[in-house]
Amino acid sequence: MSTHHEPEDKIMLGDQEILKSDLLTLNMGPQHPATHGVLRVEIKTDSEIVVDAIPHLGYLHRCFEKHAENLDYRGIIPFVDRMDYLAAMSMEWGYALTMEKMLGTEVPKRAEYIRVLVAELQRIASHLVYFGTYGIDMGAFTTFLYCFQDREEILRLFEELSGARMLYNYIWIGGVWNDINDDQLTRVKNFVDRFEPELLKYHSLVGQNKIFIERTAHVGVLSKEQCLDFGATGPILRGSGVEWDLRKNRPYGMYEKIDFDVVVGKGEKGTVGDCWDRYYVRIFEMFESIKIIRQVLDGIEEGPVMGKVPKIIKVPAGEIYMRTECPRGELGYHLISDGGKTPYRLKVKSSCFTHVSMLPIIAPGQMVADLVASIGSIDIVLGEVDR
Amino acid sequence: MHNETALKLSTLVSSSNAKAVMATLGDSNVTVDSGSILEVCRALKSEGYNVLQCITATDYADRIEITYVLADFTKNLELLLKTNVPRGDGNGNNKDTLPKINSVASVWRAADFQEREAYDMMGINFVGHPDLRRILTPDDWQGYPLRKDYIVQEKYLDMVVNPAHKINSADHMFGKNLKLEIGDPKKVSASWKSDDADPTAEEAKDGE
Repeated sequence: MSTHHEPEDKIMLGDQEILKSDLLTLNMGPQHPATHGVLRVEIKTDSEIVVDAIPHLGYLHRCFEKHAENLDYRGIIPFVDRMDYLAAMSMEWGYALTMEKMLGTEVPKRAEYIRVLVAELQRIASHLVYFGTYGIDMGAFTTFLYCFQDREEILRLFEELSGARMLYNYIWIGGVWNDINDDQLTRVKNFVDRFEPELLKYHSLVGQNKIFIERTAHVGVLSKEQCLDFGATGPILRGSGVEWDLRKNRPYGMYEKIDFDVVVGKGEKGTVGDCWDRYYVRIFEMFESIKIIRQVLDGIEEGPVMGKVPKIIKVPAGEIYMRTECPRGELGYHLISDGGKTPYRLKVKSSCFTHVSMLPIIAPGQMVADLVASIGSIDIVLGEVDR
Repeated sequence: MHNETALKLSTLVSSSNAKAVMATLGDSNVTVDSGSILEVCRALKSEGYNVLQCITATDYADRIEITYVLADFTKNLELLLKTNVPRGDGNGNNKDTLPKINSVASVWRAADFQEREAYDMMGINFVGHPDLRRILTPDDWQGYPLRKDYIVQEKYLDMVVNPAHKINSADHMFGKNLKLEIGDPKKVSASWKSDDADPTAEEAKDGE
């Protein structure tokens, strides 16, 4: 597999070449803790400096899109879960919204509130996984334990709601599968009340830590133009200083009525768009999520949680492209229906797939250890990359 | 919006033959000729469509339809741009027999991976792409999985693909048995597709 390139600068003694440094090919992954899944990055290094990085994908490829062509519209939801398995609720919501828009289904108010609630809890859970594992990448083990403790509380609630810890099948076309009770709502309230000061503590513990700042500030800088050129979305785009959030810019669900701010990177510790900025965006998005959850808890009203949906769903012929803001970026569903019981074509635009394609521009010129910081900061889930 | 875009495109790129296709349900689109796709994309980018969201393709029996999803983040617009190419021969692993279209990777770099995916899954040869390799399947995979007539190869590197003992028929049997047990196929959730699809279950609709 290894290919050697002839480097230009040779060290000469008189007319004799004494030292020759070859480019070394390193394979990072598929089994590597820093790639967060089965991603293989072929790295060419000149001593410790990365010259080129080529991502190789497909280790988790299941051809979800082909599966979807052979499943009925309800049966697709569990498959959708398995894309971004760390944010399954957000995946389901995007899918349900696509279908509801095509079917013209009215979703009950209470279901809309519950959807926002679970999606924001999911965003916190997902960012906590990022935060914890990123801490490990940077050599801080303690954050991982703290974060997973808090995430566990969210997962326990989701387990009570849906029966599963990670792959929920909870948000259905027309509403949600199961109602949430008052006891659970109180628990959510207690959780956010307890979690908010904790999160601030984590942020001051890790985000202000000198070693952490040294490892992340000025590292893996992505400019605004590069992000737009590559079609990056979510925390990556916001980390580079673009104020773009679908929840604000193209509101869906209840977001129109909810007050929250879009967090953008400002280059507080280094350059705008570096790893620290992406960290900052995610941490403060969790605070915004808490704000949203509080408003949902205040506004939630009684009522049914499932709208009127035909027993056998047949989507009228037509097509739609629908995108939603997931924890890792924009998720787009492109559905083409011919009027049958199964989709004619269902394409998923995954944000992680786009973000992986940016590795070749982040990597050159970095140290190998900084590449680990960069891969961690773009926060990919390989289930969504490979689908 | 689509009519204006189509009109503007026809004036900017005379060979584009741009037409707005208005949909009553879902999203409308602008359809152009495949030969002028590069010029059209350049023109649209200068019109403000600064982000390429994704490139996807759909296989119809007589043609392959390629969809470019573009977005304008400043004016908050979204556009589906469509073009059609003939199907070509999608068997095997030969780029020359595939339908050809110009790559737009020089316009948006996002097109790099998106076109590789479309090539891998649907078998479209993007001419001028910097590095057109398969991306999700192995380099020596045969056929293009998302084509409707695709049949999975029997063996890959001497390994049997889809061996019979690994196909999970339990779900199908479960559904079949449940239908027999309950006696009323309408009462069984249709979350699997079994071979013995009941004709009455097909017709049952808009229940509740």
